[in-house]
Amino acid sequence: MPTVILLDVSLSMSRGVDVGSPCQDEEEAERLELRKDLAAHGCHILLDHFVQHCKLEFACLISFSSVYKILMPFTRDFESIKNALNLVEEGDKTSIDVGLVGAAQHILEEWGNGTPCQIVLVTDGNAGIGQHAMQKSLMSPHSRGAAQFPLPFPFPAKLNIVCIANPSEPSFQTSKPLYQRLIELNGEGDILIPEGGLSKKSVSEMFDQLIKNNFSSYSGTLHCGNLSAPITLSPPPQPYCRHHDFEVIRVSVDSAIQVLGFLNTGDVSSPPAFSRHLVLPLSTKGDMVMLPKADGGSDDESSGNDEGKVPSFCVLLHGGLKRENMVALCQVGENWYGILYSWADNKKKSNLMLSIFVPGHDVIPWMGKLSNLGPASLLPTNPYGANDSTPFPIKVHDKKSYALNCVVWVRQGGLQSDIQKILRHARKLPDKTQCP
Amino acid sequence: MALGPAKNIGGNKLDLIKGIKAAIEALTKPSAVQHEKRTSLTENATKVLNKGRIILVTKLDSEEEIKNIKEKFHGTLLYMNKNAAATDNLMAINHCDLVILNLWPEGPPCPMPIKSWPDVSTIVSCEFTNIQCGTALAPKLCNLVLKHYDLASTTVTGIPMKEEQNASSSANYDVELFHPAAAHAAILKGIPSETAHLKTYREGTDYETVTLKWCTPRSNASMELQHCSSAYRITSVDVNSRPSSCLTNFLLNGRWVMLEMPRKSGSKVISHMLACHGGDIYIHTMYTSRSILEDPPSISEGCGGRVTDYRIPDFGELIKANKLAPFPAPTAESEESLTPLERSKEQLNRHTKYWPITLSSTSLFNLGPQIEPLAALMLEDNLTEDEVVECKQVILYLMNMEARGDPLPSPMAGQRGKGMKREDQYRAVWAELEQYLQLHLHTPAHEKVLECLMECHNKAATPEYKGDEKVDIDQALKELDDCNYVADRDKAEFGSGGGGKHATGDLSLPDSKRRRTVPPPLAPMGRSSGMNLLTLWENKVSSEESRRCLEFQGRLKSEDNVTKLYVNLQKDKDKDEVPRKK
Repeated sequence: MPTVILLDVSLSMSRGVDVGSPCQDEEEAERLELRKDLAAHGCHILLDHFVQHCKLEFACLISFSSVYKILMPFTRDFESIKNALNLVEEGDKTSIDVGLVGAAQHILEEWGNGTPCQIVLVTDGNAGIGQHAMQKSLMSPHSRGAAQFPLPFPFPAKLNIVCIANPSEPSFQTSKPLYQRLIELNGEGDILIPEGGLSKKSVSEMFDQLIKNNFSSYSGTLHCGNLSAPITLSPPPQPYCRHHDFEVIRVSVDSAIQVLGFLNTGDVSSPPAFSRHLVLPLSTKGDMVMLPKADGGSDDESSGNDEGKVPSFCVLLHGGLKRENMVALCQVGENWYGILYSWADNKKKSNLMLSIFVPGHDVIPWMGKLSNLGPASLLPTNPYGANDSTPFPIKVHDKKSYALNCVVWVRQGGLQSDIQKILRHARKLPDKTQCP
Repeated sequence: MALGPAKNIGGNKLDLIKGIKAAIEALTKPSAVQHEKRTSLTENATKVLNKGRIILVTKLDSEEEIKNIKEKFHGTLLYMNKNAAATDNLMAINHCDLVILNLWPEGPPCPMPIKSWPDVSTIVSCEFTNIQCGTALAPKLCNLVLKHYDLASTTVTGIPMKEEQNASSSANYDVELFHPAAAHAAILKGIPSETAHLKTYREGTDYETVTLKWCTPRSNASMELQHCSSAYRITSVDVNSRPSSCLTNFLLNGRWVMLEMPRKSGSKVISHMLACHGGDIYIHTMYTSRSILEDPPSISEGCGGRVTDYRIPDFGELIKANKLAPFPAPTAESEESLTPLERSKEQLNRHTKYWPITLSSTSLFNLGPQIEPLAALMLEDNLTEDEVVECKQVILYLMNMEARGDPLPSPMAGQRGKGMKREDQYRAVWAELEQYLQLHLHTPAHEKVLECLMECHNKAATPEYKGDEKVDIDQALKELDDCNYVADRDKAEFGSGGGGKHATGDLSLPDSKRRRTVPPPLAPMGRSSGMNLLTLWENKVSSEESRRCLEFQGRLKSEDNVTKLYVNLQKDKDKDEVPRKK
């Protein structure tokens, strides 16, 4: 999911860490650590995690105080974000709503309103002077609409508020209900605060916790009979949680994805998908490998090349599906299915993609009940036997009204236009028919 | 429950209460799926709600009457709920929506305005609509249908009708479709000011429609996988008008239609797609925003991407062998333990018990089409006798290849030490074949094939019998077992070799035995054990013979191929019998 690092650069972030804080080491007491340095340190930890495990994710850096500034738009180049962090300028007062408006605006511009995003708000636990006004607008829904309050976001989003503050600080205690209300309005998210006092170590631990809760990548195995390969999915699959007529369904994707059989691409006919993920093979060490493009030969790439030379079942599956133009039906959870296929973007680079359906057996009407699909070779007559014949789509028994042939004029205009059509054709007829 | 026209209760009034009562009674009866969910033993059983809507079509004259009806309705509902709650078969109604349609004749307009009372009580909401009888009735009902079933309207515009081009008439060839409102959710989400232009009111109706422009797709749109978030059935509002039937016929013939969203600026965006699946027309909602998967890595840039000898064509064959097809629904009697999908999983398991993924990790599967019958047949559930023979043939063919010293096709064209390398190659092939057969011992017939392989490799001659001519030992042995036609085919294949081969099935035993007792020294496969061909052959033949009939007593007692007859005769010299020689 694209991530926005929303950094508070108000004056209160330039406060130092309390010297009297119990957790500070002797060496650190010598240097005055500013909260914004700790914030930058934490962001570095997050970005390092992206570099290591989430290479295909996008992130951006926005700073806010009384105005917001996009320091680095969405990019996969995390080093450039790190550099931008070092060039952050100080602002003035804290206005969280301004920051949130900026984040929402940038996300809508880049990703539209359908892509789920993550917003990491890094602040100092002090909602500042602007908080009273914001509290008012939070409490009453009417003023919210008028002032274009950013929450709830017009796209699915997770809002995590990371506070570089001591848990016992009075300013944090006042601001905490405000933060909680913000998260409540958004729906998903959490407040994080360093445990014990405020120090580099506790901030690191807090960011590790943030990463663990929100940015852990998926790692699982793709099975096809007795063949298998360790894989990761990008983006990580989200749990499905929806209310249906009689029940609320909450399921998460299993760590084992089982291939069950194969189907023609033309038969599945663009089925509706809940989400779509790139399937990338993992190395033996458990991380994703991105080999350099084509030019071999340099020494420091030799380790990458070794990984490239270890055969992976994913590549075989991709090659087979692409060659035959077929898709693999697979199971991603209890009563939850999806399809694997070869996908190429505009630049003709193809890769293995997984589209996950909505949970259930009967989710694709033209394929029938998915649990009733079995090996075609075991049927008494193989429906794929003759040229190009296929048992799909499953035909419905009742013909719909639009498929029945009869013309009925309900409106005057319809009758008129049909008569005019006949007249037009009649005028085109030759005067005399040519008799041989 | 008596149905029929409402009774006249005097003063030009009709008794509506009976009808209302009947309607409420019908609502308290649970539907099949409600009953199923209610009586299921899951935790959701108690959460099943019973909500409904009652549409009352009548003619009312005053606000007073409307109020009366509302009160009576509410009272009746409470009363019936009490009754229903007391029984097991009926469900109390949690919420009921009463819609009163007042049909008003032409002429002076109706004095009562359209009104709605959403909270008559916690369980009743009410709505009152005036409809003028006649042509206005149908559109008004459409409006109500949209509201009641949460539907939305889409107007397809810009349909390239041939008539329009010829006649230059300005007739409007828009087609309106109804479908679940959720199909529009994706494009209507977002900041309201940006999406306001999408919805417009149709003339003559009071609901909004979203106008989308027709966009002719590339011809192979149905063969590609488009990324959609949902697919809902549609119906055309004016089913039988010419433009509508043109559109639906176009779709029913298998063509797909892309629909473009109107945009204030920027490039065109395909937001929806119309397609026909199995006789039903669906509207697919496409993802329109920028994808976070843009510029993905190629498969050759990840793990295993640099390997170039994957067995992709063979995997393609595996894919084709494991295609899925719909099975007939399982009946109650045929309660098999496995669903068809699970059977497919099992079949895949069996097909991949031994499946090397690259050419360099296998020698067996490099041998080409000759090995295919064996590889394919071993995967079967059962083998017929003919199929067992076919498998054995493949083994014999390989033995013969080895005997002839044929080079094995290898992807890595080993250049050094051809002689030794070939032996290693063959050894690798045999080892792999044995492993393969071991993994597929499904039935005794499969075991026979493995036995054949094991027998071939346990027989050998002592080194001193290595000669010039190389002959398949087992080929000679097996030919007596096999049927005629097999033997005939083999004769053509294994033409080289010693002269001692006579490949007809029903040779008389003594003949064959005679000929084979004077063979040239036969060479084994290179493994040594204590046996030689002659002893093998004699053992084989004698075991055959002993099966067929009892051994001739004379032969049993023979010493040096001579049996003395009538030995007892020597004792009786006075008896005049002529000793018979053998």
